[in-house]
Amino acid sequence: MPESTHRESVAWVLMLDSQLRAAVGERELVHLIEAPMLLEVPLSPSYCRQVLVWNNTVLPAMDVAAWLRGQPVQRQQTLAGVFAHQTRPGATPEYGALLLAGIPTRAPVADDQACALPKQPSGWRTLAVSCFKQGTQPIPILDLPYIFSSGLL
Amino acid sequence: MNGQIQSAFVDLQETRSFAMLTLDGRKWLLPQAEIQSLESTLDIDCEVRIPHSVGAVAFAGMWWPVYCLSSELRILPETPSGRRVCPLLNNGADRFGLVCDRVDALTEPPRLFALPACMALPDSPVQALALLEDELGCVTTTEHLAALLAAVVENIDA
Repeated sequence: MPESTHRESVAWVLMLDSQLRAAVGERELVHLIEAPMLLEVPLSPSYCRQVLVWNNTVLPAMDVAAWLRGQPVQRQQTLAGVFAHQTRPGATPEYGALLLAGIPTRAPVADDQACALPKQPSGWRTLAVSCFKQGTQPIPILDLPYIFSSGLL
Repeated sequence: MNGQIQSAFVDLQETRSFAMLTLDGRKWLLPQAEIQSLESTLDIDCEVRIPHSVGAVAFAGMWWPVYCLSSELRILPETPSGRRVCPLLNNGADRFGLVCDRVDALTEPPRLFALPACMALPDSPVQALALLEDELGCVTTTEHLAALLAAVVENIDA
């Protein structure tokens, strides 16, 4: 009998602001902070002006929605997700935080949900490695190693 | 972290003592060895000015230009009333004064963290971050402050 090529995995769907959604892999989200204490770093990019202290280290707090929109974003509540990423297979995980507008939700994702990236905001092509459809909404999958590198500067 | 930033970070990690300069409440850390002298703002001669400075201090037989920077290191044309002390910075190549709210010596070397790659704008004077109880200190050097001053002055004059 031929082996099935239908694969399913689990993603975290993130609310970046009131409208923008994105996803990361199940194992990339490692911690959620509901009331993060954010510390300002002067002379840093407008979309990444703050850091937070987590596990005795300092993590950048990246506002992906602000980068995509090219302007500051207002949220009713701001949460911070701590994400692990690897710059190459086998490398020690590195960590960074993303500012979120709500609690992430888990979603099963199958290969046949793959779809094109949304055309707007156009920055999705820079930030996302892939995309899947949840209902009718495309959910870009974030390229975390790139987001936390100097690539957006 | 690029090679230049990494090298600067390693140097800073080997620095044993830091001075903490407060500018409008924000804490900036500088290697203690780069502070030549602490002067009062009353000693600034406002008549001796090079462009964009707020005056100069006579020390060790020469005039040291004095600058006033905001908490985000923007050049201010006038000195805010809270600035009471003027450290004279000297790394052997760059010499100038900076009016500050206050200057404190840190009794213990702080734990330094590299500035995350996604935050390290080119030419940023922030070379590392330091946790100071509940606050964050930005670590810089006289060399980087001098480079920033030169760039800002050039932009203003352009």
